[in-house]
Amino acid sequence: MMAAGRRIDISAAAMALGLLLLYLFLYAPILYVIYTSFAADIVWPFPPSFTLTAYEDLFASSLYGEALSNSLKLAFGSAIISTLLAAGGAIAILRYRSRRRGMVLFLFIAPLFVADLLIGISILAFNARVLGLPGNLISAMAANAVQGTSFGFLIILAQLVRYNWNMDDAAMVFGAGPLRCFAEITLPTIWPSLFGAFLIAFILAFNNLEITFYNLGAIPTLPSVAWGSLRFGLGPELFALAALVNLFVFAIFVVMYGLMRTGLVKFGYRGQ
Amino acid sequence: MSLRSARRLHPELRFLGLAGPGVVFIVVSLLLPLLSIVVFSFWRTESYELYADWNLDNYATLLGEAAYRTFFLRSFVSAAIVTFICLICGWPIAYFIARYGGRYRLLLVLLLAAPFFTGAILRITALQGLLGPIGLVNMTLTEFGLPPIEALMYTQVASGLGLVYLFIPFMVTAIYLSLVNFNFELLEVAKINGAKPWRAFLEITWPLNWIGTAIGIVLVFIPCLANVVTPRFLGGPDATSFGMSLSQQFGETGTWALGSAMGVFLFLASFAVILAIWPTIRLKRSGFTGAVSQ
Repeated sequence: MMAAGRRIDISAAAMALGLLLLYLFLYAPILYVIYTSFAADIVWPFPPSFTLTAYEDLFASSLYGEALSNSLKLAFGSAIISTLLAAGGAIAILRYRSRRRGMVLFLFIAPLFVADLLIGISILAFNARVLGLPGNLISAMAANAVQGTSFGFLIILAQLVRYNWNMDDAAMVFGAGPLRCFAEITLPTIWPSLFGAFLIAFILAFNNLEITFYNLGAIPTLPSVAWGSLRFGLGPELFALAALVNLFVFAIFVVMYGLMRTGLVKFGYRGQ
Repeated sequence: MSLRSARRLHPELRFLGLAGPGVVFIVVSLLLPLLSIVVFSFWRTESYELYADWNLDNYATLLGEAAYRTFFLRSFVSAAIVTFICLICGWPIAYFIARYGGRYRLLLVLLLAAPFFTGAILRITALQGLLGPIGLVNMTLTEFGLPPIEALMYTQVASGLGLVYLFIPFMVTAIYLSLVNFNFELLEVAKINGAKPWRAFLEITWPLNWIGTAIGIVLVFIPCLANVVTPRFLGGPDATSFGMSLSQQFGETGTWALGSAMGVFLFLASFAVILAIWPTIRLKRSGFTGAVSQ
């Protein structure tokens, strides 16, 4: 018994180490980006010297602010579309025994099986040659929401599979309308999965290059500015901007950690 | 209409009302565009304009020229290797988060997604900065009088490492979402009945989480097959991928018809992979064994 317990401890520790190494691998380039944003000399120098010029240039230039605001708009719009469509699809499939469930399931996950690049160019070809529309923010939002909807759908489906719909039926029996029932019974339970779907769709759209690039025309976003400036070498301003974005994201994570630690908000976790 | 039939109609209408908008959206912004490139792939481009005279020349070019075969095989093999590495490394990590993550599970998964807030180009450039000839790894080696690792400088290996870097979070998340709905108490039952841990894994955990794993495999393989950015920055001169060549048709060269044919080919290749995985999927063994709140 003890030996088995220890073995589980060892394998758990090995897996924890794997997770740590993965975090290290994933964050090493990001730490490098942050370091470079402060470095006076991009070539790895000993000893390092620091400067804030990149940040001064960043705030002096209007291009980056515009790109950031476009990226935020794009990501926000795309995430809203994705979350609404995905939630509708997931709830419909889990709640109603329709004959069309298989078909709907297939359509909702189909975008996952099509590469970004292919979605980008096919929507470009369709808009430009069939509909005769130039690229704009709305078409880019919709194009990005295609995959966002699938990811959101999977996330919501995975979390909602255990949801007990009898609670909704009970509320309806007691006279609650569908909207009130959703707002007071369903939503309080499922919001973490909606939040997760929104977040993933937001992240995907915020930094998508291949879909956005082909559907946004000349409107700058962060990835397209990065792509465009590659010709002359990435400006340190971009590194500075990325560092600020990361700072913001991690501030949110720290808040989330605090909420989880105190148990104030459980984000769907049902233990103590 | 009797009250009874009205009641029976209702759920179907509600089903359509909820799922309908998403279905329409996906038909309009995925299926119709894909259909349009299928049509264009049989057309002809001349000086950046598409002309509707139907022919098979694009496919003849695509299948006839050795360069496209090389690009495709290169992309296919590297996508297969990258997917395998992500699978091997991703499983234990997803397992750890699902089983031992406790109340911090969501945060641990989001930490895998957060790097995406820094665009792929920036991260790949940074990776290049770390791995390249004047990067952290090789400069440190040189500092200690050691030779730099040539395999990491503008090679297929570096490009593969970049792909693992970009896509392993998808694999971990897909497996994690499956494991979250897996009842770990089944493993206790297996242990009580005398199964060794590896046998319990092979006969219970793995098959019951195969759907999530298969989704992870597809989510990594398909974007790797089409990847443009990574081979371009990390791969060096001999790494031109199918995706790079495809995106050139829609950019620099403006040969939309040939590009469409390449797109169709890419889609068929992805579809073939999904068809190969499909027979292994058994929805009844979906692994939704109902996680008890651990």
